[in-house]
Amino acid sequence: MTDFRAIMGVFFGLLGLLLVGAGALAPEMRAPLAQTNVNLWSGVMMLGFGGVLLWFSRQRA
Amino acid sequence: MTLTILDYGIIALYLFFVLGIGWTLRSKVASADQFLISDRSTPLWVTSLAFVAANLGAQEFIGMCASGAKYGIMTAHFYWAGAIPAMIFVGVFMMPFYYGSKARSVPEYLKLRFDEKTRGLNAVSFAVMTLFSSGVSMYALGLLFQLMLGWSFTASVILSATIVLVYTFLGGLKSAIFTEVLQFFLTVLGFAPLAFYAVQRVGGWEGIKKNVAPQMTHLWAYTGSPEQNGMGVEWFGLAAGLGFVLSFGYWCTDFLVVQRAMAAGSMNDARRTPVLAAIPKMLLPFVVILPGLAAVALMNSGSGYTLPMKGAGYDYDQALTTLMVQFYPNGMLGVGLTALMASFMGGMAGNVTAFNTVFTYDIYQSYIRKGAPDAHYLMVAKMTTVVGIALSIATAFLAQQYNNIMDLLQLVFGFVNAPLFATFLLGMFWRRTTGHGAFSGLLSGTLAAWFTHSLTLAEGKGGMFGVLHSFPSTMAQNFWIAIFAWSTCFLVTIGVSLATKAKADRELEGLVWGLTKMPSAEGAPWYARPGSLAVMVGSGCVLLNLIFW
Repeated sequence: MTDFRAIMGVFFGLLGLLLVGAGALAPEMRAPLAQTNVNLWSGVMMLGFGGVLLWFSRQRA
Repeated sequence: MTLTILDYGIIALYLFFVLGIGWTLRSKVASADQFLISDRSTPLWVTSLAFVAANLGAQEFIGMCASGAKYGIMTAHFYWAGAIPAMIFVGVFMMPFYYGSKARSVPEYLKLRFDEKTRGLNAVSFAVMTLFSSGVSMYALGLLFQLMLGWSFTASVILSATIVLVYTFLGGLKSAIFTEVLQFFLTVLGFAPLAFYAVQRVGGWEGIKKNVAPQMTHLWAYTGSPEQNGMGVEWFGLAAGLGFVLSFGYWCTDFLVVQRAMAAGSMNDARRTPVLAAIPKMLLPFVVILPGLAAVALMNSGSGYTLPMKGAGYDYDQALTTLMVQFYPNGMLGVGLTALMASFMGGMAGNVTAFNTVFTYDIYQSYIRKGAPDAHYLMVAKMTTVVGIALSIATAFLAQQYNNIMDLLQLVFGFVNAPLFATFLLGMFWRRTTGHGAFSGLLSGTLAAWFTHSLTLAEGKGGMFGVLHSFPSTMAQNFWIAIFAWSTCFLVTIGVSLATKAKADRELEGLVWGLTKMPSAEGAPWYARPGSLAVMVGSGCVLLNLIFW
């Protein structure tokens, strides 16, 4: 089986890409009380997390 | 709230991955043991996160956020006085018996330690309870998606149940555990930004303190008497009822969580599983309770946000979802919804995988057909998975029709569970405890719970036989029911055990303190020793209690 960390890494990576894309393409899309580009920053965080998981899975392999 | 294609895409991405996990694991389940208990080969970090996630259903997210809005940081008692000490205890002191006894389930441990009837009682009540919880989880999901998105109740229930069926049927416990880990990260990453933005918007912790009642920002300072705080509970009821009886009763004896630790690859890993799980558990209040508290502060600070009304008061259960709409644009909104959906489904899958194990090993193999070849039990386990999910769906629809039945069932399960920890504590640490003692202790503890409920009144609940005492809240009533049930079970078990014949010492090897060689981790580095980890985690928990005193 493929390393489970790699599977999760790909999932969060894709999720992060979607969010960063949405945040970059539609920065004016804001919820009523939000003061920042929530999609962009959350997306960056998920991309980072996905990257860390992928890096971990490569370390062992 | 309206969703866009982006949100639907995110939901679809998650479902695709979950089904994919089931698919990749399908070849790993060739025997009943692999399917039901995952062959005791799951890595430590996976079992630890699954241990937290199995209990982290969507009801917990929604309920803890609601409670945070209603009672403030006092809600964290469920974690910092309740779950954490119990998780440390089960890992350090009880896991040697669960894991070391080679029992495949908690009821099976009771059979080895006591006798058939004690196992039967526990297995049957646990099996019914898991089906019920799984059904309620589905019901809550259907209701939420109907309310928020206008989706059909039936369609949401059937869709989520089918997905859970596919991945648990294909990959068994391992599949459920891996999905729980994915769900854990998704819920934390999905909701942590909400907590962060909401608290930031209201001006940080100082801003919260300025805008809410002082009781809501302290744990213990207002617990001198029940009248001082919103929960209506004093420090003793909190510490003994919630902290000791209810939390230890759940975390130390509920097979749903204990099963995750028992799937670990070695004794040391099994013991470290709950202790390591306590670290994320300890930090969860900042993700689940803080948004609720921030929601109230936001409302009081005149930001324009208000909690929706329900009758004469606020509908606290909607705190989390209304807050999401205030802070998340489409995209993150989809992530938040996917996280809720994932935790509903995780709750279902956790219950179903515990149900099929207890049914196959403790009911079918023990009372219906003994000594069949393994392939037969694997088939039974898979069939049980299907039947269990079908029964959960039925329960969900029943809950939709008759809300009162659900309340009644929940009450009865509370009565059955309250005394459990006394039985395990005596069983594991006093070799003189007998099967007759355990069985009669459990029954009388359940009766004591019922009597306490019937003789007291709180918010119109209870008082069937008259009212000897009135509690300011049902929460206080529940804590005291637990205290009475536990004490009755404890005393009756001791009394009956002394009057009946104990098992010979050699029959109890590996099952009781003093007759079991305790695993030693001496010489191992600190992070590999359950004891030193426990001290570290315990100190962190004490520190949190002091900071928010």
